[in-house]
Amino acid sequence: MKDCENISESMGRWLDGELSPAESESIRAHVAQCADCGEAQRKLEKLQLALEGALMAESKSIEFEPFWRAVQLRIAEKRTWYEDALDWSRGLFTASRAAWAIPALIALLLAVASLESYFPGWRGGAGRNAFAAVDSIDAHGRNVALLREYDSKTTVIWLYEDQEGENETAEEPPPPGPAF
Amino acid sequence: MELSDRELVQKCQTGEMSAFEELVSRYHQKVYMVILGLLRNREDALEVAQETFFRAYRKINGFQGGSSFYTWIYRIAVNLAIDAQRRQKRNPLDFRESMDGLLESQDEVARDPFADVHDKELRQNLTNAINDLTPEHKAVIVLRTIEGLSYKDIGEILGCSEGTVMSRLHYARKKLQDKLSAFL
Repeated sequence: MKDCENISESMGRWLDGELSPAESESIRAHVAQCADCGEAQRKLEKLQLALEGALMAESKSIEFEPFWRAVQLRIAEKRTWYEDALDWSRGLFTASRAAWAIPALIALLLAVASLESYFPGWRGGAGRNAFAAVDSIDAHGRNVALLREYDSKTTVIWLYEDQEGENETAEEPPPPGPAF
Repeated sequence: MELSDRELVQKCQTGEMSAFEELVSRYHQKVYMVILGLLRNREDALEVAQETFFRAYRKINGFQGGSSFYTWIYRIAVNLAIDAQRRQKRNPLDFRESMDGLLESQDEVARDPFADVHDKELRQNLTNAINDLTPEHKAVIVLRTIEGLSYKDIGEILGCSEGTVMSRLHYARKKLQDKLSAFL
């Protein structure tokens, strides 16, 4: 029984001529005296014949001259840079390459994210201790300032009145009139 | 005296167009048949076969001769055909129409081995079963059946090991046998 399982695994390679002479002989001897394996061989040969019939029946010989002319036309045709780039990228992003490229990209993103904890402020300090002011957030002439301290994770919200702004919006004093 | 593929490639690399023409004349039929086996549509197969030789011409200077010319050209052809096949899968309606056309024309042209009703049914079921295979499984079946290539050559063309070729072939045949159990 174990033999039959092994033979079944190797049957295709045997019929394809991919086994050593010794292995082939051992399979041939087994198949000659095992009805089940003989039946499996017959089915596989019939499948192979059917495949040849189906795949070869579709074939039709193509004339060389028109084929060659079409290839020559393509060669002579000037392609745009984006067609070339598309061709190039098709070769670049094959499934096998994507298989390692995606984990590599994830690892790179994780590494960049983890740099933040090892080297605080590595991005040059931009955005740290940022002081942002929003003018006239409400209609009463008040301003809001936000002070963020990243190391202590503190945010201070500061409401204040902008004297300068108030002066700008305040009613202007009447121009000095002529002295009577 | 007939030049070898390698000699023709060397001539191509020095810009001799006639050498490339000779290579095309040697391989256009085989390349077309392999692509047709994968795509099962004559117009698409012709288009992809022409594109294969166009790509080969553009890349010929980078061909180092590490493998034979025919495995190299088949590799380009199979990769393009697999891409085209994935596009076909995204447009199954168009593909179905092309398949029907192909089968009808076969009926007209070929008084082929599939003459009686049983064989016609088998052919139809086999065609459907082949189309249900993944592009990678279909590629090993086509290269083995049409070209009779060795596992080593198929592995070189598909960029995988002989062991992978062997297991893909085993799996693909098992799958086809399961689907065609009523006919075998």
